[in-house]
Amino acid sequence: MPESNFDFLEKYDNRVAHLAAQAEAYVHSDPDSSLFKLRLMVEVMARTLVELNASHLVDADLSTMLRSLQSSGLLTRREADDMHSIRRDGNAAVHGHESSTPTALRRLRDAWRLSRWYARTVKRGAKVDPPPFSPPPPPRESRAQQEARRKAEALEEAAEQRRSRTRAALLLFGDHDDVGAMRWRLRGELRALEGVAVAAGEPVVDADFVALVMAMDLEQILEHPSWGHSSGEAKTKVESQFQAFKVAHEAAEQEYLQTRSEIVREARTQGDG
Amino acid sequence: MNDLDLATTWFLSARAMACGGDEPSASEEAAAGLFARAILGLDEDACIEAKSSEHMHAMTLIDCMSLAGSLPRGTADQVMTGVMMIAYAAASMQPLQVRWASMLASAMDMTEERFQRCCVNARVVASMLPHEEELDGA
Repeated sequence: MPESNFDFLEKYDNRVAHLAAQAEAYVHSDPDSSLFKLRLMVEVMARTLVELNASHLVDADLSTMLRSLQSSGLLTRREADDMHSIRRDGNAAVHGHESSTPTALRRLRDAWRLSRWYARTVKRGAKVDPPPFSPPPPPRESRAQQEARRKAEALEEAAEQRRSRTRAALLLFGDHDDVGAMRWRLRGELRALEGVAVAAGEPVVDADFVALVMAMDLEQILEHPSWGHSSGEAKTKVESQFQAFKVAHEAAEQEYLQTRSEIVREARTQGDG
Repeated sequence: MNDLDLATTWFLSARAMACGGDEPSASEEAAAGLFARAILGLDEDACIEAKSSEHMHAMTLIDCMSLAGSLPRGTADQVMTGVMMIAYAAASMQPLQVRWASMLASAMDMTEERFQRCCVNARVVASMLPHEEELDGA
């Protein structure tokens, strides 16, 4: 059995392998530090990938780099989600929210999955086939600590399910959708509708027409008092609608972080006793 | 119209708009769901159920236009705003997208004036879309 789940990374990126191994070593004893290390590991990975693909963004913050890598197509949704999860939990740890081992273990598993993908990406064509991930064994625990850990695991599972539902509701296409096939089908239907419209005497839509639609200075037309409200008012309304959604989402995350802190503190008290 | 029908109309309209252009980008994807939740006020269950494979595979764009035609005026305006928001978020439009917006507007019996108002709102919404980091955890 290897000493670390990340031994295989050594020959692809020594720095990333070292950070991952440290995160693994701390996962039971110090989950906050484990998450710091994972967050840093993702940052190093992202920076390396950005250097290869969009060097002008190399000094950008992590979320900007991740967005850029995702929009360039280098990061798939799966990898981007794993990286964002590590960033989110790493940031929470940095900002003083006490982390639990179940949180760190989940992110460690994500990091292992990411590491395989990363090694394949930075060394194109390399055969990367590490042994399956093996969770670091827990230390001896009292019955009370085992109970606290079970509570933390249940909380983590509930939080992941909540996030997963929120995410599934937000995405345009589901994780299991064949987007290529769906796109092909919808474009076929759109072309058929185009044919019907043209046969019915509708004008042909060409590039000039499109440019005209996009270039129309609509705001000037609609700022006229006869429309009843200005784009400024529309902006205020949209802002409040987005804000309401964001507040509800953040409240759920805050509640989770608070409950997690309580469980961690309870476990610590029982450990001290 | 119930929430499932509205969610179906929205996601099918939005998918058609996104697929009428280049490969849908992450920002178009995120914008569509956020619009459903924050502006149309749809709950998670309706959004998830509307996008289930069994439900979506049974629907064509003709069905979508039929549903769009039965929307109350205010809701129809919101859906059209969202559809145009996808074009503005991508800062480009292709002929199939223009045709889709036009056919949807006809199905909704929309006047030119109403359509223009939707375009203004769409520009406003597209400029207000929060970045992904503001929705951490989703």
